[in-house]
Amino acid sequence: MNGPVSAGRWSRRVLAVHTAFIYLFLWVPIGVLAVFSFNTGRQTAVWRGFTLDWYHRLLANEALLAAVRNSLLVAALTTLLATVIGTLAALALRRPETPGRGGTLALLLLPMVIPEVVLGAALLTLFGALGLRLSLTTVVIAHVVFSVSYVTLVVRARLAGLDPALEEAARDLGAGPFETFRRVTLPLIFPGVAASALLVFTLSIDDYVVTSFVAGVGSTTLPLHVYSMLRVGVTPEVNAVSTLLLAGTIVLIVAAQRLMRVSSSEGDRT
Amino acid sequence: MRRRGTWLLLLPTWLVLGMFFLVPLVLTLVLSLRQRGVYGGVAPIPDLGAYVTSGSFLGNYARSFAGIYAGIGWRSLWMAVLTTALTLAIGYPVAYALALRAPRRWKDLLLGLVVVPFWTSFLIRTYAWMFLLRTEGLVNRLLLGTGAVDRPLEILYTELAVMIGLVYGELPFMILPLYASLEKLDRTLLEAAADLGAGRVSSFWRVTVPLTAPGIAAGIVLVFIPSLGQFVVSDLLGGARSMLLGNLIQNQFAVARNQPFGAALAFELMAAVLLLLLAYAFYMKRKGEEVLL
Amino acid sequence: MKPWILSAPLGLLLLAGCGAGEKAAEAPKEPRQLNIYIWTNYLPQDVLADFEKRTGIKTRVDTYDSNETILAKLQSGVADYDIAVPSDYMLKALISENLVRELDRSRLQGFENLDPRFLNQKFDPENRHSIPYVWGTAGIGYDTTKVAAPIDSWGALFDPRYKGRILMLDDAREAFGTVLKLQGKSLNETDPAVLRQVAEVLKKQKALVRTYNSSDFANLLTAGDVDVAHGWNGEMAEAVASSKGKLAYVVPKEGGTLWIDSVVLPTSGRNTDAAYEFLRFVLEPEIAARIVNGIHYAGANRAALPKIDEAIRNDPAIYPPQEVLDRCELLEDLGPTTELIDELWTEIKAAS
Repeated sequence: MNGPVSAGRWSRRVLAVHTAFIYLFLWVPIGVLAVFSFNTGRQTAVWRGFTLDWYHRLLANEALLAAVRNSLLVAALTTLLATVIGTLAALALRRPETPGRGGTLALLLLPMVIPEVVLGAALLTLFGALGLRLSLTTVVIAHVVFSVSYVTLVVRARLAGLDPALEEAARDLGAGPFETFRRVTLPLIFPGVAASALLVFTLSIDDYVVTSFVAGVGSTTLPLHVYSMLRVGVTPEVNAVSTLLLAGTIVLIVAAQRLMRVSSSEGDRT
Repeated sequence: MRRRGTWLLLLPTWLVLGMFFLVPLVLTLVLSLRQRGVYGGVAPIPDLGAYVTSGSFLGNYARSFAGIYAGIGWRSLWMAVLTTALTLAIGYPVAYALALRAPRRWKDLLLGLVVVPFWTSFLIRTYAWMFLLRTEGLVNRLLLGTGAVDRPLEILYTELAVMIGLVYGELPFMILPLYASLEKLDRTLLEAAADLGAGRVSSFWRVTVPLTAPGIAAGIVLVFIPSLGQFVVSDLLGGARSMLLGNLIQNQFAVARNQPFGAALAFELMAAVLLLLLAYAFYMKRKGEEVLL
Repeated sequence: MKPWILSAPLGLLLLAGCGAGEKAAEAPKEPRQLNIYIWTNYLPQDVLADFEKRTGIKTRVDTYDSNETILAKLQSGVADYDIAVPSDYMLKALISENLVRELDRSRLQGFENLDPRFLNQKFDPENRHSIPYVWGTAGIGYDTTKVAAPIDSWGALFDPRYKGRILMLDDAREAFGTVLKLQGKSLNETDPAVLRQVAEVLKKQKALVRTYNSSDFANLLTAGDVDVAHGWNGEMAEAVASSKGKLAYVVPKEGGTLWIDSVVLPTSGRNTDAAYEFLRFVLEPEIAARIVNGIHYAGANRAALPKIDEAIRNDPAIYPPQEVLDRCELLEDLGPTTELIDELWTEIKAAS
């Protein structure tokens, strides 16, 4: 008895240390980036002293703030649209008898394989031919095009091996299709849907290549703004805005978690 | 009733990708068969019949088979394979810990912390890595300070720096699908394996890994394809002393303004990736694993 | 995994959206619009605010990252920009593709304020389509404490003494330019034999080069990654100014690249009247001087010169002396030769 338990403890420890190390790996550069948002120098190279100057400048920098707003708007809309479209497709593709299954699988594979610059140039040509003015709408369309496949892939990975008997049982018990979906299927696939939504948001908010082709008047996003700064050097205002975004995200996540915990513990009591 | 309607669920995908992906894809295919104009754009074709019969329409594809481009392709492929293997090896244990070991109430927060770093600007993230890895950088100062090394290590502008940057950038795209797949793992199966006398190692390889094969496949696809087309990371961290497929295609669209040649290269890249994926799917099927492609 | 994690981005969006909502609410009737497409930090915010106040025109500013992006956007015909600021070689392509309007000189009061040295260039003879806005050079930035004597020649980039301490711009034309200038030839050489031989020199130079970089070369010089760096003056001037004399920037004696960014009116723009008002505005000496003081790039407005801060006006990295400027040359679009240079550059990069 003693042997396996201590071996288990040991392997758990290795796993915990490895995981902690990877979190450190993921966050150390972010720490550096945040520290340099308080640097008096312009460059992420040499520490010259503490200042809040970049934050003051950021608050007065309308172009940069507008770019942040655009990026958040595009990423949120893309996440919403791509996650819904991709999840629906994943559900349909689960059944081998679905008409057009093979063709759809091929169609979904291609957008992941095409180099971004080619997709961007091709979409710009298409928008030109259609006479669709470049705007936030064209940016969202382009982002949805390259994201849907990712959603389907991740949700299908989650669906694979899930027992269809659960849903059949629900239907046998008299639940309608919508009821079955809401109360059985969705909870089952939710971790996959959420993971793919996070993935899409991450892809969309930092996309530069495709966006640079399809953005128009009033739709400069944060990555476009940052790349455009290269000509004169990227200032720590970008570090400052990234730091604020991260801090805001973390605060919201923690607050939401608190909120959910309160409501779920209330739920437990009833 | 419901089964007959499943094709409706595919309708949005076909509407979006049909209009905004297939049509541009066909336009690009046509573009790849034309030639660059004097100042960029495409050259007019005076005699379509002669253009086709002389084989000129394949000119861009013929040009791409020069040895120099093959070398670039081979190097890019090798780097993508290495990146994928490393992210899988590093990411699987993390996803496992998150899905099966982390306390329930912390799971969501911990998963969020894997992706949130990537909501910052890619460029300044890379600058931060350069700050860490350079000769007088933080990593070297720490190593020197603790006496781990006597001379600073040359990391920046080497292949090692490129690999660190690539693995860093691709890690969340491996962890997320693995997490989604591991999270549904039925622990009773693992216990059953243990009851049947399987050791930890053998139950991991014979039960856990096969059950999460769809997640592994998704992660491999999500990481391999973007790594094959990457170039900015290798330029900044590797010193741009070599050229990759990503640079080559990007340069045709930007610097050289030779979109037809760039399009031809892109189609060859796509064909190669599809062949690799098919081979992978075929291999998995023969092993009796579920495949997603 | 619970749905709330997705609420984080939406929450951020709501926070960010508050500012936008207020602004939209306070515009009762449709004001006149002007859509400007320009590099980041090329137009100080207070100058833009004054333009809006004086004319009542509402401006929207978008930024781009390369000249090729401007070309792609304007070619598509679906980008509604009234003003764009392309560089010299790209301007020629835009004119030849009829993507920019011919200017009506009678509506350009203040044109005479411009410095004649930057008018009538090959890319737009007689300036029928463009007015020069800002200009600069490519040269060498270096660490004065790490080199034996002040650098004055492109030869420094090929000097084995600096092996592993050299940075080259990751840009084929600029890299070829250094060798061509060293050999006393034009930057716009098109003889394939000459270009092939230049490529051989660059291939050999590769052993000396630590990194090719055109995005943050000045950072790397400041950080000490390299001691001798090929680069453009804008970012270099900033690095030199903040280095307290440690760094220096020089346009080599053989001559370097001159670049000129000009203001044009794209044909797809719809607000032509507002665009002309903008052109007249930036031609005013007072305004042109404020722009230079704000962006630290040399302006092409001669009448503005006395009003420019002395520190900027006397900085040789921003305003090089006339004899240096005389040796500089504009990069021209080389037409079909572009493909050869791209192939040679690919070979250089693929060589080991």
